[in-house]
Amino acid sequence: MALTSELTVAERGGATNTSAPLVLLAALAALVCATPALAAVLFSLAPSGGTLAAGGLLRDGVFGTLALVLVGGGGALLLGATGAWLVSLCSFPGRAAFEWLLVLPLAAPSYVLAYSYASLTWAGGPIPLAVDGFWGAAFVYAVGLYPYVYLAMRAGLAGRHAIAFEAARSLGARPGELFWRVALPLARPALVAGAALAAMEIAADYGAAQHFGLTTLSTAVFRAWYSHGEPVSALRIAAVLLAGALALLIAERAARGRARFHLARWRPMARIILSPSASAAAFGFCAVLVVLGAGLPLAWLGRLALLHANVEDLTGPTINTIVLASVGALATLCCAVVIAIAARRGGAGARLAAFVAGAGYAAPGAVIAFGALMMFGAARNAGWVGGLGSGVALTALLWTYVARFTAAGVQPIQAGLARAPADIDAAAATLGAGSWRRLIRIDMPVAAPSLAAAALILFVEIVKELPATLILRPLNFDTLAVKAHAYASDERLLEAAAPALLIFAAGLAPLLILSRGISRATP
Amino acid sequence: MSTIELSQVRRLYNGAAAVDGVSLDAPAAGVLALLGPSGSGKSTILRLIAGLEPVDSGDIRLGGEIMSSPSRTLAPELRRVGMVFQDHALFPHMSAGANVAFGLARLGRAAGEAAARAWLDRVGLGGRADAYPHELSGGEAQRVALARTLATQPRIVLLDEPFSGLDQMLRAELREFTLTTLAETGTSAVFVTHDSSEALTVADKLAILKGGRLLQLGAPRETYDHPASPAAAAALGPVNLFAGRVERGAVATPFGAIAAQGVAEGVGATVIVRAEAISLRPGTLAKLRSLRPHGAHDLAIIEAEGAIWQALVPPRSALGERIDVTLQPPGAFAFSA
Repeated sequence: MALTSELTVAERGGATNTSAPLVLLAALAALVCATPALAAVLFSLAPSGGTLAAGGLLRDGVFGTLALVLVGGGGALLLGATGAWLVSLCSFPGRAAFEWLLVLPLAAPSYVLAYSYASLTWAGGPIPLAVDGFWGAAFVYAVGLYPYVYLAMRAGLAGRHAIAFEAARSLGARPGELFWRVALPLARPALVAGAALAAMEIAADYGAAQHFGLTTLSTAVFRAWYSHGEPVSALRIAAVLLAGALALLIAERAARGRARFHLARWRPMARIILSPSASAAAFGFCAVLVVLGAGLPLAWLGRLALLHANVEDLTGPTINTIVLASVGALATLCCAVVIAIAARRGGAGARLAAFVAGAGYAAPGAVIAFGALMMFGAARNAGWVGGLGSGVALTALLWTYVARFTAAGVQPIQAGLARAPADIDAAAATLGAGSWRRLIRIDMPVAAPSLAAAALILFVEIVKELPATLILRPLNFDTLAVKAHAYASDERLLEAAAPALLIFAAGLAPLLILSRGISRATP
Repeated sequence: MSTIELSQVRRLYNGAAAVDGVSLDAPAAGVLALLGPSGSGKSTILRLIAGLEPVDSGDIRLGGEIMSSPSRTLAPELRRVGMVFQDHALFPHMSAGANVAFGLARLGRAAGEAAARAWLDRVGLGGRADAYPHELSGGEAQRVALARTLATQPRIVLLDEPFSGLDQMLRAELREFTLTTLAETGTSAVFVTHDSSEALTVADKLAILKGGRLLQLGAPRETYDHPASPAAAAALGPVNLFAGRVERGAVATPFGAIAAQGVAEGVGATVIVRAEAISLRPGTLAKLRSLRPHGAHDLAIIEAEGAIWQALVPPRSALGERIDVTLQPPGAFAFSA
């Protein structure tokens, strides 16, 4: 997700070459994205049944989430900013490889890292250090989510501000001064945007926090719903979580808006050449980040999976995962294409649609899934759908994916559209092409190459999504994420290794393809 | 032949006027050039004529028929107004031939493709029909864009800095080619540029814009010889400025007196003297501070009584350190301050 945020481009202002049917479609897509979260908020306003929300659970959840965001997010900020500074502005052996290696932790969702570290350090594990509880979760967030900060900061440092660095160096600034007086102030908006993304992930995380036995807003939602059987309490806690996530999203948008204020032509810049000892330290720092965030947990999961290869047949869950993620990615892609193309044509309606879809991404999976559950429950009560059988449950699940991930698909498509000449739509119009013909002959073909990248990103996001799948999957419909979670919940971490490894591997694919592309085509 | 008429057109961006009460009309056949620096509103005027943006007040007529008014903007695809964009805006996923055929859909597939080929032949790219935009050179892309626009037989063609980004030789060649093709097809055109010499060359009628307002509208020679304001004079080439007072029908400058027609006696006046309207010969009046090559001319910096002016003089002029100065009337003007 953050991987693509760096590709986002400024919208063209002033164009009013919009078309009513397209805006209507975009509005429809935005409505699809918004309804589950709206349903969650609406039903949380029910007058009765919210005793837990008023009591300690909500308070504990707020404090738990805040503490994790501060400590885990702070750690990610520190690690990511340092990594970006080293890789963008310094020269040391291995720098070019680290440029994309540092992104790898994004492949694993937090719960996969949590399971891996838990089995590394718990009973029988090779490391005698306990990665557990609050500090365990904070550690996993810091080493797993620093790439959000790293990517944003690197985009803020590289190329765009080369002139400022060169000017400062020609004026005699030392490397330390460069960092504190030039790089940090220039990259501050990017830093805020990256930190906000990491904080959003922490707030939305369910699997890792649950595994380490913590009370956060996300785990509190589950507990209120399942353990206490109080849907209204759960939805009230979810509404608080949603509000926090939206605040983070707005902070991120505002910061990114400022980070984008001028886009000079990209060009390579002279890097600071580090002394041998400083080079070794820089290399060591980056290597430790990659090892802790990806290498070690990946290798350990691989070892466990090999040792216990015959424990259980994962064919069923794998097929379920692939089918679900394919259909979900396709449905999401349709919404994303419509919104991306409408946003390129401009106009207030299209911009609103893009923002609403973006808000969907900020909303944690659990919030959207419970909202969808309430929505379909209400539809059943109204007699619009039959019972909540598998068909309806799968529809609700796909709807949740669309609501949550459309924004993740919009960004790569917008980036693809931005590479085409800005005026091709206007050119087609002056050549007599009406709105539909422009959509079919110009916009769709131009967007086509980026659709593959968008589809891959969406596929992987859905493979990784745990809480929504957990809530809405039909009975006996297991995916890899659900399997890994079920084993880990039973403290059967050896068995959890294989499904966790498969999720990790799926997550690596788009990272390897996209991050190398980014390195080549910076920014 | 269709003429374009703008009357009192305003266009606001976030409350600021990008185009502010502009009225102008293009000749029935021939080229109207819009000249101005960036931010003068010239490109916005093109987009308004094309129907890509609505007007906030005023109206735009084509052949007497209202195209844009605050209440109604006829869609660009219904105007038959062709536009050649600054970056060519060729469709990146279509070959050159398909780009040209795009606007010919109503002819049917076969006839459209034949017409597209004929147009590519006409612009000298008969062999490049299957090339994709990224395979075309800047000049070729420019020709394809022109062919694509003219093939639809638009009632008027809008050209938005069509030759920017091309080198000088190619620019002149393509400009001549474009003007010839427009004339052959009898198409009238609106041509936007920030280059004053290009504007003077292409225009049958010239509109000088600044800050969203029209400074002057007229034949190129007339606007050059009779600027309406100091700003209009400065838009057409380098000028020297002097503030003085009208005495006995003229303003005395350190370099000579300038007739001040239409400015009242004893009133403060701004004098504008074009750099190319100053001729120098060895003498005593002023000091020659420097004389350097400047393309077709030499650039002379002259000084008298503390005033420093620039003059464009024939190259390799033999001048001493002291010079006499003549200000030629067609390039020297006085305006009431």
